[in-house]
Amino acid sequence: MTASSTLPDYREMTPEVSARFERLVQRPVALEVRELTKRFETPKGAVTALDRVSFSVHKREFTCVIGPSGCGKSTLVRILAGLETPTSGEVRVYDHPVVGPGPDRGMVFQSYTLFPWLTVKENVMFGPKMSGTPDFAAEREARQWIEMVGLSKFENAYPHQLSGGMKQRVAIARALANQPRVLFMDEPFGALDAQTRCQMQEYLLEIWKNVDITIVFITHDLDEAVFLSDRILVLDANPGRVREMIPVPVPRPRASSQLFDPAFMATRKHVDELIHPPGTEKKEAPVLRMAAPDPDIL
Amino acid sequence: MTRPGILRNWFLIRRDLPHGRRLLLSIISFLLPLAVWTLVSYVPWIWHPDMKIRISAEREGVTTVFTSGDHVSREFFPEFADAVRQENQAVLAARASGTVESGGKRKNQKLLRQIAPVAIDHGWLPYTEAQNDPELYKIWRDLASGTKVATDPALSPENLEIVRQNWATLGARSPEFAYRELPDEPLLKLVPQGDPANPVYLPAPHEVLKAGYRDFTAEVPEGEPTMGQRYAHSLRVILAGFLWSCLIGIPLGILCGVFDFFSKLFEPFVDFFRYMPAPTFSTLLVAVLLAGDAPKVALVFIGTVFQMILVVSKTTKLLDPSLLEAAQTLGAKPRQMITRVVIPGILPNLYNDLRILLGWAWTWLVIAELIGVKSGLTEFIETQGRFRNFDRVFPIIILIGVTGFVTDQVLSWLHGVFFPWAGKSGKLSRAVADAVMWPVRTVAAGARERIAADEADRELRRNRPANS
Repeated sequence: MTASSTLPDYREMTPEVSARFERLVQRPVALEVRELTKRFETPKGAVTALDRVSFSVHKREFTCVIGPSGCGKSTLVRILAGLETPTSGEVRVYDHPVVGPGPDRGMVFQSYTLFPWLTVKENVMFGPKMSGTPDFAAEREARQWIEMVGLSKFENAYPHQLSGGMKQRVAIARALANQPRVLFMDEPFGALDAQTRCQMQEYLLEIWKNVDITIVFITHDLDEAVFLSDRILVLDANPGRVREMIPVPVPRPRASSQLFDPAFMATRKHVDELIHPPGTEKKEAPVLRMAAPDPDIL
Repeated sequence: MTRPGILRNWFLIRRDLPHGRRLLLSIISFLLPLAVWTLVSYVPWIWHPDMKIRISAEREGVTTVFTSGDHVSREFFPEFADAVRQENQAVLAARASGTVESGGKRKNQKLLRQIAPVAIDHGWLPYTEAQNDPELYKIWRDLASGTKVATDPALSPENLEIVRQNWATLGARSPEFAYRELPDEPLLKLVPQGDPANPVYLPAPHEVLKAGYRDFTAEVPEGEPTMGQRYAHSLRVILAGFLWSCLIGIPLGILCGVFDFFSKLFEPFVDFFRYMPAPTFSTLLVAVLLAGDAPKVALVFIGTVFQMILVVSKTTKLLDPSLLEAAQTLGAKPRQMITRVVIPGILPNLYNDLRILLGWAWTWLVIAELIGVKSGLTEFIETQGRFRNFDRVFPIIILIGVTGFVTDQVLSWLHGVFFPWAGKSGKLSRAVADAVMWPVRTVAAGARERIAADEADRELRRNRPANS
């Protein structure tokens, strides 16, 4: 705790960062969520997954949604994508109400969900073809996106031949090829190993820099949230409520070396405290009372 | 404690054996039953509960007549032989005491024919000539004189003695056969001879092979189908029934799997209907569709289609729903979700389902061929089975088994060719898939390039200023 006392306040921003945020909120609102409530009927009675959740995201903003397990982050993103209907409340994308899934909102799932019977190229062509783009044009577009995620060599491979990280890159290319206005990502790197995960985060920021896209990213990883986002939406659990919308004071462009910046660590600590409030600290792990041999090296 | 080598190398809990060993075991799995069959068939002291009669005898006052080739139990056979011996004793005793019966010409003529099976087995007589008395008469003579010697089956010394004694009587009366010249007094009967044998329902491998070869190459009487035609007929019935079943079952199954509406509308009744055994509809089908192949095809259809609807529906429901959600977020409309996601997604599993269902269809075929006018391979099995010609039945049963097995193996291998993306293809099937798809891909790539070039050309012209 002594080390953390030297950290700055998480609200402190350098002038450049605060100027950036000022420019950001000038932009049009890409996604607006108003009083969103979702109740599930279970045999044991109604469960409120989301309770009057409201927030808005600006064009080209990168937002992460984080919260303890059971806070309804996945439900939230599924409603935003139109895969589920809310009990009450409204979602608007560029001022159009969301009534169902549509190509204006892309989605990347944790479980990749690539079509196993299509090659990498055909997977990426799927969206454009659904909207009636002729084959050759869809193919040309697909090639560009595949090149962007660095998988040109694998354009004729089938998903089962790819690693997890490669699959997720294809999934991102597939979602982007459809040219959605907002991209939802539901813990997309949750199934990857730590190293691949770091690479993918940097990849994603690189793509985001080059593509005109607004991203809403669900995660349960603090570092990931702070590293990626402009603002972090912290949700409470049971029922899911907005706890706080935190602007991240870490300047862009970001690199993994910033993980130990005071600003980064301060934000991380604050979010950590929001998710695990000090009063509800998890209990001490039970002490093992077994005498293990060779204590001299411990 | 270390396990002995054989246990360590061959018996691994939940672990695959090396390729060579697996192959070896697969081969053995076929050789093992063959070996058991061969052992039981050719080692005389294993099983052989019957005696196959080679020389038979009719007995006085006993209505049951055994002919050569019949099977009797091993316990009964000595009793049978003893009874004949006692009859011979009685004849000798009567001769000695001079109280000879008369009017035995007819019986003696029959008695002479006892030797016919031996003559036929040795090729001295064609099997159609079993009642050619003049020829048989000569054979008695030759056997008695030793000009002909029976080797397989060898005449027992007892019977050889009887042949000589009988010939002494016969030869003294006439050198050639003449009914008039047959003695009135009874001759001695040949004592029954036989070999240990397995029951008729278990013919030996060589008998099955011989019978199979004969049946498949035999000329058939005018108007009767050859074995090849029977086989083709059976295949036609099963394929027709199966295709009809696919035509109805697959679309319905997919609909039930995709829409809860159809699932609840059809599945409960289908589930009920499939418990009514298809064969119970046979008479109904014949009444409705009359004789010919139609009721047979319909029976295979009824036997398969209800299972197919349920299985296909189940397979469709097992498709990962997140693929459908992904397609939706990519802008797929409901119809596209079925044609672009559901159908391609379930194909490999559907293919495997159909493979299993084709196996079912074979079961129904056998019953289908028995209804109305019997036909195909089953008619042959049925007819020959009634005559207890099991050596002719087994080749057909094996043929059906081999057809089913080979089809299934080929289809299973083709799975890898058709669905390289399922990730289960072997090297060979992947190579074949590539080779087959290569011309298609090349043509498609060429077409795409041409279209792209045309498009670029058109764009260029459109952008060119009008006055240039």
